[in-house]
Amino acid sequence: NMATTGAAAMDETMRYAEYSPKTNVRNDAEIDRRLVSVRVVVGELFSRYAFQLWKPLGQAFSETVKKMPSAGFSSYYKGGFEQKMSRREAGLILGVSPAATKTKVREAHRRIMVLNHPDKGGSPYLAAKINEAKDLMEKETRR
Amino acid sequence: MAKYLAQIVVMGVQVVGRAFARALQQEYAASQAAARARGRPGQQSAAVSSITGMSVQEAQQILNVSTLSPEEIQKSYEHLFKANEKSVGGSFYLQSKVVRAKERLDEELNIQKQEQNQQSQQNPET
Repeated sequence: NMATTGAAAMDETMRYAEYSPKTNVRNDAEIDRRLVSVRVVVGELFSRYAFQLWKPLGQAFSETVKKMPSAGFSSYYKGGFEQKMSRREAGLILGVSPAATKTKVREAHRRIMVLNHPDKGGSPYLAAKINEAKDLMEKETRR
Repeated sequence: MAKYLAQIVVMGVQVVGRAFARALQQEYAASQAAARARGRPGQQSAAVSSITGMSVQEAQQILNVSTLSPEEIQKSYEHLFKANEKSVGGSFYLQSKVVRAKERLDEELNIQKQEQNQQSQQNPET
């Protein structure tokens, strides 16, 4: 029923197109509205199913963010080691200022290495980083 | 008459939509499994590595664990965490890396568990 009245309305519109341009605009608006509603439905369907797929990814993101220390006296440094060690990082690894003297660097290196020695259950990777830090600091230190 | 047609069409769309979603989910799980089989991180794992700035490989190197065994990880973490305490003259920076490495591996184990759950949920349907 709705279809036939719609068709009849279209016919009448075509017949009077020259005399009543406003009717044409009204029909276009109706078509636009219908297209929008179709787009809304498709969009809703897509977002509903897309969300199910992306939920694990979103969960991983929010859980990781939650785990970052929020309060407390000291917040741990974030991320892994720098791809190419900087003097700043070397200082942080050894616990000395980037402008430390050679003696201080040697002292710190020995202390930190003893704590992290692979023979005593330390990690070889960390030991390598500690040595790299010492080499870097000594390379550029004058005193 | 039109009302019934509309209902049938809507039901049809729902059925197709649900099947499509299920197929997409299976594809995603299959691609994750395939990536892992080739020794490469899945999409979720790669995203976490990018966000946290720590890869699984580096985390394993820091904690000196060859496999993602929870007991190995815990034991190594406790030893390295204590070894680098500020109070005994350790480096807070190194201690931080140890903490972040443990967090990364915990997250990776979490991801793997999630994927296993998803796969076991889908298998009975096929």
